[in-house]
Amino acid sequence: MREILRLIVVLSLICGISAGALTVARLNLASRIEKQSDFYVRGPALERLFGKPAEELLGNKISLPIGDHLYPIFYLTEGSEITELAVEAPGPGGYGGDIIVMIGLDLRENRMVGMEIIQHSETPGVGSRVEKASFRKQWQGLPVDEPVELTSQGGQIDAISGATYSSKAVVNGTNHIIDLIRRHRDDIMAVIKAKGE
Amino acid sequence: MTLKQALVHGLWEDLPPFRLVLGLCPALAVTSSAENGLGMGLAATFVLVFSNMFISVLRKVIPDKVRIGSFIVVIATLVVLVEMIMKAYFFPLSQQLGIFIPLIVVNCIILGRAEAFASRNPVLLSMADGLSVGIGFTISLAVLGSIREILGAGTWFGWQVFGASFEPFEFMVKAPGAFICLGIILGLMNAYSRMRGETFIQT
Repeated sequence: MREILRLIVVLSLICGISAGALTVARLNLASRIEKQSDFYVRGPALERLFGKPAEELLGNKISLPIGDHLYPIFYLTEGSEITELAVEAPGPGGYGGDIIVMIGLDLRENRMVGMEIIQHSETPGVGSRVEKASFRKQWQGLPVDEPVELTSQGGQIDAISGATYSSKAVVNGTNHIIDLIRRHRDDIMAVIKAKGE
Repeated sequence: MTLKQALVHGLWEDLPPFRLVLGLCPALAVTSSAENGLGMGLAATFVLVFSNMFISVLRKVIPDKVRIGSFIVVIATLVVLVEMIMKAYFFPLSQQLGIFIPLIVVNCIILGRAEAFASRNPVLLSMADGLSVGIGFTISLAVLGSIREILGAGTWFGWQVFGASFEPFEFMVKAPGAFICLGIILGLMNAYSRMRGETFIQT
């Protein structure tokens, strides 16, 4: 009995101290990691979506808290009008967890500009092919207010052969964003307006 | 083992992955370029030195029955730490190495050194052992990565080595190239050791 108790106490202590150390490290490094991923991942993605230099776009960032999730949103303005948005959200159902998707939206024409993958843990060479331009370009020009679906389910997106789960996760992420825009369009506009003033 | 022995044994006698033939998975998978090999080696060295240190400190506290579990917790903590530091300061490298950074947790060199050395030796000696094996691993991966990158892409750490007329053997940066390259180095090392009459090699 004493021995079992000792096993439990020692193992719990080691785990507890480890968890504490990682929490401290995370609190200290989180903002730096966020900046790095803005610079190396979101910047290039925004450049591809809107064809403007990243420095111009990265500053136009808001974070919209809905539920317990923080949605990063980038915006472009022309005069006082908000013309384009890039919204980022997780798409559940990937083979290696959520795939973080960014969709560029043209608000004047209510169409998508394109889709970018911000983060994924899919199998290299299989699921990771969702990053390919040939897959991503299917999003160009899709309407903003209709959910997307894979062609096998009667939709408009051709899944990557051998990577149906990954393709589906990207579709889920897209629908997540479409839903977000449908419900919270006014909130987003209000936050951006408030930031601009 | 003396401190001096602990410091040098990982550089030739127990050089990973060639001598120990452990840690082959990262050695083969990430050495498609010299930079990746070096980065992976340094990350593994950091984990190795500190895991050896913590495990050596705790060796009298950790009950024998749960030692492997305890080692894994210590190693996993360090690996997550390395992953976060890499993301915060060397983001492009962390994207390149991707899944192989978390996989350092199950790198058998690290668990092997913890079990075979750090759990029976004092702190300083264990850290020296970790450092020596880690540096050996880093050099090996950098060399393996260099050979593959120079032949397979015509560059070294991203610099163009050959003129434009050089046609790279693309095969070398793919998986089979890794096996062949590793096999040739292993063979050459064994032949050299046999010639010198060293006794520690597998025959």
